Amino acid sequence: MLFAALRDMRWRMRRLVIAVVSTGLIFAMTLVLTGLANGFRVEAQRTVDSLGVDAFVVKAGAAGPFLGATPFAEVDLARLAAEPGVVAAAPLATAQLTIKEGTSTRNTTAFGAPEHGPGMPRVKQGRAPSTPDEVAVSSTLDWHVGNDIQAGAHALRIVGIVPNSTALAKRPNIFLTTEGLQQLAYNGQPLVTSIGVVGAPRQLPSGYQALDRAAGVNDLLSPVKSPAGAITIMATLLWIVAVLIVGSLVYLSALERLRDFAVFKAIGVPTRSILAGLALQAVVVALLAAVLGVILAQLLAPLFPMTVVMPASAYLALPLVAILVGLLASLAGLRRAVTVDPALAFGGP
Amino acid sequence: MGDLSIADLVVEYSSGGYAVRPINGLSLDVPAGSLMILLGPSGCGKTTLLSCLGGILRPKSGSITFDGVDITALEGGVLAKYRRDQVGIVFQAFNLVPSLTALENVMVPLRAAGMSRSATRQRAEELLTQVGLADRLKHRPGDLSGGQQQRVAVARAIALDPPLILADEPTAHLDFIQVEEVLRLIRSLAQGERVVVVATHDSRMLPLADRVVDLVPAVASTSRPPETVHLKAGEVLFEQSTMGDLIYVVSEGEFEIVREVAEGGEELVKVARPGDYFGEFGVLFNLPRSATVRARTDAKAVGYTAHAFRERLGVKGLGDLIERRELPGG
Repeated sequence: MLFAALRDMRWRMRRLVIAVVSTGLIFAMTLVLTGLANGFRVEAQRTVDSLGVDAFVVKAGAAGPFLGATPFAEVDLARLAAEPGVVAAAPLATAQLTIKEGTSTRNTTAFGAPEHGPGMPRVKQGRAPSTPDEVAVSSTLDWHVGNDIQAGAHALRIVGIVPNSTALAKRPNIFLTTEGLQQLAYNGQPLVTSIGVVGAPRQLPSGYQALDRAAGVNDLLSPVKSPAGAITIMATLLWIVAVLIVGSLVYLSALERLRDFAVFKAIGVPTRSILAGLALQAVVVALLAAVLGVILAQLLAPLFPMTVVMPASAYLALPLVAILVGLLASLAGLRRAVTVDPALAFGGP
Repeated sequence: MGDLSIADLVVEYSSGGYAVRPINGLSLDVPAGSLMILLGPSGCGKTTLLSCLGGILRPKSGSITFDGVDITALEGGVLAKYRRDQVGIVFQAFNLVPSLTALENVMVPLRAAGMSRSATRQRAEELLTQVGLADRLKHRPGDLSGGQQQRVAVARAIALDPPLILADEPTAHLDFIQVEEVLRLIRSLAQGERVVVVATHDSRMLPLADRVVDLVPAVASTSRPPETVHLKAGEVLFEQSTMGDLIYVVSEGEFEIVREVAEGGEELVKVARPGDYFGEFGVLFNLPRSATVRARTDAKAVGYTAHAFRERLGVKGLGDLIERRELPGG
């Protein structure tokens, strides 16, 4: 009785539209939240990739090359650079810095690396910093080459703009020379948080370990693990809300159509055909909502002040999850339809 | 096509925990090609009987044989196939699906039978043309008159050309002009080998019928002298669900009034002692007895017809009786 189910949907078009819009909005919010959680990883990945190193050599036991690092003296840099398999090695440092430009104050993640790398990202405008009082900043700060900024007691001049470089929920990155960062963060002591290596060192000096880019990404993600977890929980709750909306629609539809189902059964329509019709309604609502959700997500994502990158897998999974949501949601309605007594058809109006 | 035969049919259901038998030991035979009317007031079991004939309700006992097949023995898929292929039902209040057009309503049983979409559409158009609705194919039930809706319901019922048509109060919601067109249509269905069973409380339909079955036959209520009955302890005066024409007043001994409960067994409603009366509602309102009465001890009671009982009660007595006030002496 699929045609009867489709006709019934047209018959209850207004309610259907409300359910599709509501569920579509839920799906959109779920997609955006998924995009937010994914955005943390994407921007961390972009930052790590932009440094152009294959591995980070850190002190043994350190949790990562950036935020989880144990600063150490760069005395073994030359030894490491001479190890077989190492193409290039550079002293890298990372710190959280608050900087001011005029009246504007921003929290940033600062990276220190030699002017010509490895560890210095490609600069879109201007050039990479070459002296300790020069800095390249993320384009997301909307600051300009030639502007002066203040980092604590130190004055820095912007010499370059790095395209869209952020980490930790759209916090902008800034890039200095290693010496420049050491002056700002370590009182000028020659400490680094890692040695960036191009190539694959076959052996490391004693007391060191090598971390790959993935470990670097995870290290940058560590402060946002809890928010990402909260977002995932919110997304899960939204899936449940979507199930409830579609389920309510199908259940109400089933309740209102009990007489129809009784008539169908009384005239010999198999129960499975009635159930298929109800399940079809749920799946159609969920799929239409999924389409609307994708469109709304594209419109909503730019409104968020954080990086929202919806993974392709989310778009592929959404229709499948929507079908699952539809079927799950229709269970109560299906159960009600199964129990309808065909004798009900003999009742009066 | 075959004859319809009902033998010792008993249908029982639970009402408020008590066992109720709207049909109690019904037997009848309907030859192929005839139209039978089941006549009776609301609640007498007309629709219950139709449900049994349609394979929707299973009786407690007895058999319904149609075309040599005992319907009461059918199960599962075979029963669903019987409902679909052998029976066409015209429901009270039409019961068309409001979201479907007239054409689509008629298509439902055809699609359920596995016919292709194009064949289904063609057959549904033919049927609606046959019932005079060729110009209303795309109309929804809400846009049709009662008579037109009933004709769509008839077209749906005969869609698979079933040999048994059941119609439940087919004229209940129609004005007299619509009644005429529906009566003609229903009469025309009882052709060839087809059996048509119509349940109604509308005695105007009786001229249509080849056979009329009154499910609540009027009990003779001629005035006759009071009748004294003597019973030994344990003897039954009358049984639940049977019809009777006497109201009893206890003269001596005790009677127990018991009601069958749905789970089996009995529940004592009351013990009637000298001066008490019972059995009045069934007699006055032409309803089946709602309880069984059995002598608890050796007992004597006097049975009055409704007429005689009213005379004994006097002018205002009927109201007192319905409210179960005590009888005046005498």
